[in-house]
Amino acid sequence: MTTIDSPPPPTLRADSLQAIGVEDMGVRYDLRFTKKTTIRRSVGQILGRGSQEPFWALRHVSLRVVHGESLAVIGPNGAGKSTLLQVLAGIIRPSEGAVDVRGHVSGLLTLGAGFDRELSGRDNILLGGAFLGLEDEVTRRLLPSIIEYAELGDFIDAPIKTYSSGMRARLGFAIATSVDPDILLLDEVLATGDANFRAKSKARVIEIVRAAKAVVLVTHDMSWVTEYSNRAVLIEKGRLIMEGDPAEVVALHRQHTDEARAASAAAATAAGLDPGIAGQGRR
Amino acid sequence: MSVTSEVPAAFRNAADDPGAARLIREGLADIVSRRRLVRYLVQADMRKRGADTILGNFWWVLDPLLQMLVYVIFVTIVVSRKTPDYPLFIFAAILPWKWFTTSVVDATSAVASQDRLIKQIQFPKLVLPVATTTAGVVGFAFGLIPLAGLMLFYADRISPFLLLVPLIAVVQYVFTLAFSILLAAGNVFFRDLGNVARHVLRLWWFLSPGLYSLAVLDEVHVVQANPILKVIANANPFAILFEAYRKVIYGAPTSPPGLPDWTSLAVLLLVSVGFLALSTVVFKRLEPSFAKVL
Repeated sequence: MTTIDSPPPPTLRADSLQAIGVEDMGVRYDLRFTKKTTIRRSVGQILGRGSQEPFWALRHVSLRVVHGESLAVIGPNGAGKSTLLQVLAGIIRPSEGAVDVRGHVSGLLTLGAGFDRELSGRDNILLGGAFLGLEDEVTRRLLPSIIEYAELGDFIDAPIKTYSSGMRARLGFAIATSVDPDILLLDEVLATGDANFRAKSKARVIEIVRAAKAVVLVTHDMSWVTEYSNRAVLIEKGRLIMEGDPAEVVALHRQHTDEARAASAAAATAAGLDPGIAGQGRR
Repeated sequence: MSVTSEVPAAFRNAADDPGAARLIREGLADIVSRRRLVRYLVQADMRKRGADTILGNFWWVLDPLLQMLVYVIFVTIVVSRKTPDYPLFIFAAILPWKWFTTSVVDATSAVASQDRLIKQIQFPKLVLPVATTTAGVVGFAFGLIPLAGLMLFYADRISPFLLLVPLIAVVQYVFTLAFSILLAAGNVFFRDLGNVARHVLRLWWFLSPGLYSLAVLDEVHVVQANPILKVIANANPFAILFEAYRKVIYGAPTSPPGLPDWTSLAVLLLVSVGFLALSTVVFKRLEPSFAKVL
């Protein structure tokens, strides 16, 4: 009852059905301009001191998502999963390769990120809609249903700073899911709120997943991957390691995780015996 | 359902390198298509300024008056210069200057302070400095209330030339916008640009004919010895703006208000439009890296 139908047969994979195409895409971070650069530091770096290698958050990534598909992106922390979603959402431009996204994209990235704490919930809904690029009439039409869904009651006209974190998460979720996107990008959104709201939000996400033409989901919840996705990719250190059936990809990911855990356990044991060796052994 | 105003198909190629003309066109389209967002941001800005303070938006009225008081005391008692109707003389400069500094300081952090949002949603970042600069206009409009009050004390200087104030403000707006857009983009990469801007602004104020008239410079020895300084002083955008505001609000110490120097205003407007085009191109070129650097 819950799953999306099995992957469309290869014959249906004509170009008109393609929702997302990624070709040999790479994202490079220039570590010269990281957070809180000061002019002094940059001048020093431009003059040659402390030059740093560019860092590839993603490289040589190619994938294709057709209409009706739900793709799960899994991998360890820092592998580049969220960067991939940011590229698909158009937030980050690829440094090499090309990305082709067809349709209205909506991302339920970290919820409630853009809230203005001084403004009321209602003002934040209008502002959030404007940031998402919704027409004003659309936002105003959606307003009652968003307020009702978020279960905020009279708090809707109070500043966001008076909200509990659960209220904030509910409002963020309600705004983000009020849009009917063609392509839905989800980044670990299923773990917010209390058990009650989690069940409610999961139902809503399933509803949107069914309505959307394509879904790309980043998650650490492996049961979701095997249950609701019809394809999965494993990303490690910015490279696409495996693409295919969710169960197989999850199995490989589990295997790699266990290996990594064993390696770090071994390193920890070595550290107990000889700190010098452990320092070299650990990555 | 078609709810978003963006183009549904987005093709992004790393090799794509748009030219200056296209970037300016895109920048214009960004603002026009998101004018509602700019409006909401301006409203939010106004609402927040009013919140959490006892006097609320009344500070917009009080602030320039108190600033004027400080300078009147400083100049008439410490420096003991005698200029007739001096409070009005400097108020004509304080008001536009306060607008400029508020806009520039706010715009500097406009992009950097929205880091969380920028990493979550794709939207034209150009709306951020445009909104803060436009919010400054509202503050300037509030400042016209104490100006009107002050004019009542100097009723003999009230003239129809006061109606030209908005026209001069348009020139200032274009210049401020260009300056703000450039700083907003630069501050993403250099976070100490805000500190630099604050000090440069303070120096700029004292080098501009705000507390004194441009003519006073002729009496200064350094300027007499180096005529080039006079040329530089005349080219200062705020020399042109202050002199223009003062001409229509105050006039001259011994003569009533009159028409401003249209030629220098027109030149400043032209230069500002060019400056605006330049900073839009710089901003649009840097925009793709914002999400990575923040």
